[in-house]
Amino acid sequence: MVFSIAQHFLADRPAAEELAQDVFLQLHGTLPTLKSEEHVKFWLRKVTAHRCIDYQRRRKLTQVSLDEVPEPASPAQSSDPFVARRLQLFVASLPEKPRLIVILRYQEDMLPEDIAEVLTMPVATVKSHLQRSLALLRDKVTRTIGEVTI
Amino acid sequence: MTETNKDPNLIEDALRNALCRDDAPEGFAVRVLARAEQENSSAHKAQRASWLSIFSQPLVRWVAFATVSICLVIGGVHYRKLQRQRAEGEAAKAQLMLALRIAGSKLQLAKSKVNEINQSSPEPQPQNKSPRSRS
Amino acid sequence: MSTINRKLLPMVLLLAFPTILCAQDLKLPPGVEKLAAKAKETVEVNMDGPMLQWASKFLSSEDPEEKKAAKLVANLKGIYVRSFEFSEEGAYSAPDVEAFRAQFRSPEWSRVVGVRSEHDGDNVDVFFKLENEKMAGIVIIAAEPKELTFVNIVGPLEVDQLADLGGEFGIPKLKTKPPSSKPVAKADKGEQK
Repeated sequence: MVFSIAQHFLADRPAAEELAQDVFLQLHGTLPTLKSEEHVKFWLRKVTAHRCIDYQRRRKLTQVSLDEVPEPASPAQSSDPFVARRLQLFVASLPEKPRLIVILRYQEDMLPEDIAEVLTMPVATVKSHLQRSLALLRDKVTRTIGEVTI
Repeated sequence: MTETNKDPNLIEDALRNALCRDDAPEGFAVRVLARAEQENSSAHKAQRASWLSIFSQPLVRWVAFATVSICLVIGGVHYRKLQRQRAEGEAAKAQLMLALRIAGSKLQLAKSKVNEINQSSPEPQPQNKSPRSRS
Repeated sequence: MSTINRKLLPMVLLLAFPTILCAQDLKLPPGVEKLAAKAKETVEVNMDGPMLQWASKFLSSEDPEEKKAAKLVANLKGIYVRSFEFSEEGAYSAPDVEAFRAQFRSPEWSRVVGVRSEHDGDNVDVFFKLENEKMAGIVIIAAEPKELTFVNIVGPLEVDQLADLGGEFGIPKLKTKPPSSKPVAKADKGEQK
C-alpha cells in the first residue's frame, strides 16, 4: 500500500522505496500510540501522502515521458497494458493534491470523506479535485490514444 | 465498443486498473529492518551526544557553572578552615614552647644561684655545728 | 646574674581565668595583675590539659626539642606563666610577691629552692607539690630587679622525668646537695609560716 502510493505518486521506484522505508521506520516509533488496524491504515496513508508531497517539493518532478514510467511489478488488471501505463503517466503529471486524491480514490478505493480526513481538506475540495482530474485524464487519454475500447 | 468519454465509469475503471497496488520490491522488509537497527544504534550515540549538547544552552551552562562554583567555594571554605586550624595549632605550639623555655630558664636561674652559693660557702666544721644548719 | 634575654612578645591567650594562675586556684595578687600596664613586655600563657594536648599534636617528632616537649606535656594538666619585664627597677613591690608566695605555705607544697641574692637582687623560689609521694606540680617564682615571673606547671610530673629534663629548655638538674647555711640562700623544705 505504502510503496504503491509512493510509486504511483513519484513514478520513481528507488525514491518510492526510500520513502516507503521512511514511513515504516516512522511507524516503528509511533506504533504504540496507534489503537487499531484501521488506525494504522489511516496513519500510513496520511503519513505517506504528506511525505510524498514533501518529497515532491524538495525535488522538481518534471513531466515524465511514457518511456520513463517504469513497468509496474504487478501487471495491470486491464488487458491493455499500454492504456494502464499511459494512465499512470497522466496521473503522475497531475498537480500534487489532485494526484494524491486520484491515487487514494482509485488505488485505495477510499471515499471522498476519508480522503478529506487524510489530506486534511474539505470534502467539497476533494470532490472538486476528483471531478476535474477525471475530466482531465479522460481528455488526455482520448486525445492520445483515441477512444478506449474495453 | 464503449467510449470512455461517454461513460464516466470507464475512465474510473481504467484508473482502478492502472493504479492497482504495486508490490514492494523484493527484500523490502529486510531492508527496512536493517535500517531500523542501524538507526537505533545511531539514536543511542545521539542521546549521549545530547547530554553534552545540553550544555550549549545558556541556562544549563549557568546552572552548571554556579554548581561548580558553589562546590569550589565550599571546598575553599573547608580548606581555609583547615588552614586556620593549622595556624591556631602552630600558634598554640609556639606558646607552649615559650612557656616551657621560660620555666626552664627560671629553673636554670635557681640552679645557678644554688651553685653560686654552694661554691662560695665554706665547708662546714663538724664540731661547730650551728642549730640553723639543721634542716 | 644578668637577666636572660629573650624576645618576649606581648601576647595574651584567649583562654579563661587570666587572674587565676592555675586550676588549683592560685591567684595572683591584684597588684601583680596591674603590672602588665607598667611592663615593657608581658608574657601570659594559660594552657590547661585539653589545650596542652591539642598543642602537642603540632609538635614535630623529628625536632629533638619538640619531641622531648611532647613527652613532657603528655601527662601535664596545665602550664601557666606570667612574666613581666620592666624598663626600670622597682616596678613591683616585694609585698605583692610575698603575698603570692604565701599561698604555698601549706602541707601539700614543699619549697625545694629559695634563693635571695642581695648581690644582684635575683630571688628565686621553687615549690613542689606532692600527692601520694609523687610530683603533682611545680611553681617557680623568679623575682629579678627588672623582671618578675610566675610559672605554674600542673601535672603528675615524676621526679625522674624532671631529672630527664635537666638541661632541656634550660631546666637544670637540681642538686641533691643539702642547702647551704648562709642566710641569703634558703633551701628549706616545707617552709612554715
